[in-house]
Amino acid sequence: MGLDFFLFSILFVFLTMGLGLVVALFIRGIDRKLTAHMQARIGPPLRQPFLDIGKLFGKDTIIPENSIPWLYNLAPIACFASAATLLFYIPLGSLDSVLAGRGDLVLLTYLLLLPSLALTLGGFASGSPYATVGAQREMVTMVSYEFPIIIGVVALAWQMTMLFPFDPNLYAFSLSAFSAHLVWAEVGLFGWVGLALILFVFLLVTTGELAKVPFDVGEAETEIAGGLLAEYSGRNLALFYLGDCIKAVAMGGIIVAIFFPFNLSPLLSISGLQANAVDLLFFFVKIIIVLFFSLMLIRVGVARLKINQVVDVQWFTFSLICIVGLLLVWVDPWLSPVLGILGG
Amino acid sequence: MQSILTTPSGYWDPLMWLFGLAVAIGFALFIRSLGQKSYNKETDQTKPFISGNPEVSKSESHVKASNLYWGFMESLKSYYSKIMRFHTGNVNDYVLLLVFVIAVMFLIIVLAGVI
Repeated sequence: MGLDFFLFSILFVFLTMGLGLVVALFIRGIDRKLTAHMQARIGPPLRQPFLDIGKLFGKDTIIPENSIPWLYNLAPIACFASAATLLFYIPLGSLDSVLAGRGDLVLLTYLLLLPSLALTLGGFASGSPYATVGAQREMVTMVSYEFPIIIGVVALAWQMTMLFPFDPNLYAFSLSAFSAHLVWAEVGLFGWVGLALILFVFLLVTTGELAKVPFDVGEAETEIAGGLLAEYSGRNLALFYLGDCIKAVAMGGIIVAIFFPFNLSPLLSISGLQANAVDLLFFFVKIIIVLFFSLMLIRVGVARLKINQVVDVQWFTFSLICIVGLLLVWVDPWLSPVLGILGG
Repeated sequence: MQSILTTPSGYWDPLMWLFGLAVAIGFALFIRSLGQKSYNKETDQTKPFISGNPEVSKSESHVKASNLYWGFMESLKSYYSKIMRFHTGNVNDYVLLLVFVIAVMFLIIVLAGVI
């Protein structure tokens, strides 16, 4: 690894983070605008998240007297940094990710937990009853949504292994495998239904991952006054906010990379930098569409669940749907051809 | 430098992850340094927010660790109520359970081998 490669990697990392940050805040602006329109409100301007961050940076960063200061200050940094590292593994349209070939879906599944873990640590370190209750709820939520995600990831990798059993270069858990082989195009009717079920669960679990309604029990402003973040202010709160925006983009990016990895440039017959730019733009549009269904629509349509209902829904309902999806993916190679013969 | 850990189905590179994390922490510290550092120490500003109620005592204000997984226990109470019967505190019961589990696993392994 030469010096040039090292410097280029650092530059690419900074570019990815800078671009990810700006796009994440912009998408949060779109989120708030669309949500407002669905609730018959005008809503804030698209630049409102940028203004919010600017405002937070100008506010006092209070360290509560009951807190553990070093941990209290470390948590927002850890939340932001761990969310930002997710972006390094996700291919940006036709551009390879910064750490392409250096981490797979299993790693991403565990990295997705780190921002929530940092939030929980921050909540416990706040020394406030509201924050402690919020942190406890967040831990329970984390345990709940992990199970359906793992089943879904295993089902997808299993499908890859069944479709290409003799390809020595194919790593079933890698995002590049999903970029190279569009999952929908490789399966029959049963596989389609199975994949649709897994996609459905992934969209709903995204809401849980991002602790948004109906799974926002850790913050629950109307019950526990913001819970985890009750004591946070100023630049610490700004970092948590930025981490949350980036994690939303990362979660949307992972779903896009698995289920919708296609690009526009082959259709438009363009190449080079122009193709990369068009594909990158298209990638962000796909993320907005994914987040529309997984965050905005659900948030407007339903109310907050109780903590025990969160566990019920995630552990039993979502996991069961994922298991059915996995079984359908498994039986697809045998049953879909039979159905094809019967049909005609 | 080759630091990728590979299995037949996946891979990850811990050193590159640490490298990415270090750069991201540097970026986070830079962003954080742009914000306001000061606040009014030893004023009401630093007291914990309890919806305007006075803090009775530090120890009474904390939530017990036994409530850590309340939501989880509540949801799975039908499972836990059965499983908690095994926790009698009697070592004989635990050893009996261990022997039983080993016997079942042995049977499964032997039967799987025979079949």
